[in-house]
Amino acid sequence: MNIVVAMKQIPDLQQIRIRQRQPVLDGVPAALGIIDKNALEAAVLLKEEEGGQVIVLSAGNEEVEETVKEALAAGADQAFLVLDDSIENADGSLKAPILAEAIKKIDDVGLILFGEGSGDNYSGQLGSRVAELLGLPQVGYASRIQIQDSQAIITRSLEDGDELVKVTMPVVVSVLGDINEPRIPSVTQILKAGRKPKEVLELDELELDLSGLPQIKTLSNLAPETNRKQVKVGSVEELIQALKTEGVI
Amino acid sequence: MNFNLTKEQSLLQAMARDFAEKRLEPIARQIDEENQIPAEILTEMGELELLGIPIGEEYGGAAGGYDGYVLVMEQISRVSGGVAMTMAAHTLGLGALEKFGTEEQKQKYLPDACKGKTIASFAFTEPGTGSDPKQLTSTAVKDGDFYIINGTKRFISNANQPGPCVVFARESESGEVTAFIVDKGCAGYSISEPWAKIGMKGGVLTDIYMENIKVPAQNLLGKLGQGFPILLYGIALGKIGTSTASLGGTLAALEEAVKYVKEKTHRGAPIAKFQAIQLKIADLKIKYETSRWLCYRLGCIANDIKDPGAFAAEAALAKAYCGDTVVEAAKIAMDAHGSYGLMKDYNIERILRDALIGPEIEGVTDMQKMIVAGSVLKG
Repeated sequence: MNIVVAMKQIPDLQQIRIRQRQPVLDGVPAALGIIDKNALEAAVLLKEEEGGQVIVLSAGNEEVEETVKEALAAGADQAFLVLDDSIENADGSLKAPILAEAIKKIDDVGLILFGEGSGDNYSGQLGSRVAELLGLPQVGYASRIQIQDSQAIITRSLEDGDELVKVTMPVVVSVLGDINEPRIPSVTQILKAGRKPKEVLELDELELDLSGLPQIKTLSNLAPETNRKQVKVGSVEELIQALKTEGVI
Repeated sequence: MNFNLTKEQSLLQAMARDFAEKRLEPIARQIDEENQIPAEILTEMGELELLGIPIGEEYGGAAGGYDGYVLVMEQISRVSGGVAMTMAAHTLGLGALEKFGTEEQKQKYLPDACKGKTIASFAFTEPGTGSDPKQLTSTAVKDGDFYIINGTKRFISNANQPGPCVVFARESESGEVTAFIVDKGCAGYSISEPWAKIGMKGGVLTDIYMENIKVPAQNLLGKLGQGFPILLYGIALGKIGTSTASLGGTLAALEEAVKYVKEKTHRGAPIAKFQAIQLKIADLKIKYETSRWLCYRLGCIANDIKDPGAFAAEAALAKAYCGDTVVEAAKIAMDAHGSYGLMKDYNIERILRDALIGPEIEGVTDMQKMIVAGSVLKG
């Protein structure tokens, strides 16, 4: 059984600076989404228990070919990439059919894992969209995944409790960030990442007509404005009173 | 000329930073206070192949080159000078074994050491020698298929850990300085209490007492009388580690200063707004970048040493500069902290103590300058 992990290339969030509420992306290196790494770790753990191959799937510009080495170092066995500069900033409505078509080209897929939301826009749509396009069941908010024969037993962590679901594979699963802590890769895993197999497709190799799909145009992307009240207190009592006044305690 | 890191090098650097922040940072103060690295840290470093980065895969290493080694060492040392010191002395010992060891010696000692199951040492210094091999007093007397080694070694890193130790002694028949591989903990091997040094605690320094240690003749490293070239080569390799440990300290000083001056306010504004503080930050950045490129370059040229003498001069240059610079950088960063910097609550207190080790170990700065001057003035 193959486990596909969809991973998104995003700017390295730790290196983004905010200037006049706008993110400054110049010179910021690319990285893979944070929760995507949890999805990958979940896949690698399942592979270690059940066998199979972990295939990382990503669509984006040519830089993805380098960025994906991070996933290959972290335990993915191979990469399946769709590269085209036009999909660098594509939203979920465009990315979903691309990923769905790519998944159709991969044999023996049992699980398709997504992070619950991407590290940059966090729209949280892609897993559901891909499941719909492929006609597969989808389970979100996964905090534990187990395999039993041809079924996946998944714990969903919801606001008011955990839900245990059993679903026949293949299935699309979106995992939570606290499902695991991604392991630290070893030196040789990193150094040999570039030697693992990669299949690279260009966008026009997929039988897709993207012309009719709605495209979302981002008008602005602003950091939240913070207005500090700058209340000065001279004692603990004053602090407690100020917090009560603000309704914090 | 390309100054960009490859993706693999960037990932290696990020991995080392991640390891240092997750595993070392929470216990860095504990390591400093107890002068001891928890065993599980060295075990995990072995599992992650951080203890044999430049060693060939055929001997259990990661074949990551000395350029990969400096990228990792910088990040380790940024968080814990003690762990960096242990790693530097260990890697120096392994480098000498890989270069001069027989195939049998390499297969016997390197795989376990690369995995962190053993930790290597390199023992030249004696109470009376300083950096002068002519003053060496330890002796090795041939006795059938063995050598009997006697003597005292001073300030030896990792001597308290089991593993191979490259020991230099004067072979009695030839009178020549010769290197031997001694299994630490063997009969006749004992160590002093750890020296209570000022910084890089956790990197344990002890004296070694060798009383009639019986070493098999096949543990002679290199050739009889080849001790001096092995020593020069090993010490030059060691300076990659010590220079880069200083680089990591300079990075730590820069980052601590930047963090503090952005948080500390005076009359409602962060002190980073003041030009006097900005000049300190600029000085720190300049010191970091100049040290960084010297170390990265040294790592690159160490991957293919064609002329050991020329490499020794390059290593001395980096060691002299980075060792002095980390002290200056740590002092600037402490000045930026003001009185708070003197307190153990702030990392800069430990960073400055760690920094002071840099110019003094593996040959003091003036010694390095003599090597540099010799290489410039020769001929």
